[in-house]
Amino acid sequence: MEQVQAAGVVASPPLGERGTPFAMSWQKLMMWAFIVTDALLFTGFLAGYGFLRLASPIWPDRARIFDLHLIGLMTFVLISSSATMASAVAAAKRSDRPMLLRFLVLTALGGLVFLGLQAYEWTNLIREGATLFSNPWGVPVFTACFFLITGFHGSHVLSGVVILAITAIRSAKGRATPNGAEVAGLYWHFIDLVWVFIFTLFYLI
Amino acid sequence: MSETHSQQTYKSYWIVWGVLLAITGVMLFAEVSPFSRMFVASLLLVAMMVKAALIGAQFMHLRFEKPGLVWAVAGVALFLAAFLFISIAFDALRIQHMVQP
Repeated sequence: MEQVQAAGVVASPPLGERGTPFAMSWQKLMMWAFIVTDALLFTGFLAGYGFLRLASPIWPDRARIFDLHLIGLMTFVLISSSATMASAVAAAKRSDRPMLLRFLVLTALGGLVFLGLQAYEWTNLIREGATLFSNPWGVPVFTACFFLITGFHGSHVLSGVVILAITAIRSAKGRATPNGAEVAGLYWHFIDLVWVFIFTLFYLI
Repeated sequence: MSETHSQQTYKSYWIVWGVLLAITGVMLFAEVSPFSRMFVASLLLVAMMVKAALIGAQFMHLRFEKPGLVWAVAGVALFLAAFLFISIAFDALRIQHMVQP
């Protein structure tokens, strides 16, 4: 009986020794858990928008309200910052600190440019009379959806820039780990991923 | 983190970047094209899923992770999207018919 128990103990060591689910660091696993829950937030927003849009007999023509060149530029900036972030993670894994710092700063700059363009877009729409509950285009919930969805995404970009700045400072001090850079990268790519859905479902379709 | 993971070169990320931008360009072009609305909408949805898959697999390294994680993340998201669509789309269309004279 004791032998069987001993064998069982060997086959199933205590949790700390067994590692984590999916064989990844706890930090990375928790970031994935956060990403899934955060994705549910945006899924809720986009589903709510979809419901209002389908239930509404009319919907404003986005091509007349938004400047598609500007939206295209914002998408270009965000996709490019995702590529620089992926390169930063690769540099961190090679322990190439100068490259890591360079790519982190580039990514954060991309985030700031995106935020600037979004502020410009919001300012133009607000000047045209758009508020959270009313707008000149006939469907009041249109701008409610717009400001909530792009606002929540923008706040994610802002917090992403803060995380990148912290990672860059840590890297400059020589305290950044490949794991830390990868976790920050996962969050940044998630922001890009959410924009793919907003760009298609809100601006284009 | 597997062995192949760390061998990932910068080059592959910039190839993905180019592909993502090309798809975005096609999407913006389709938006102003004279094709039927239904065709454009279908094309946009497919392009959106391809872009999302590329970012997930290449940038977020899901292709190097264990299949269990991919299912837990992508499987849950896809199931929820389909479930939400089925549960709200018909109701929303019913309301639209009620609102319309």
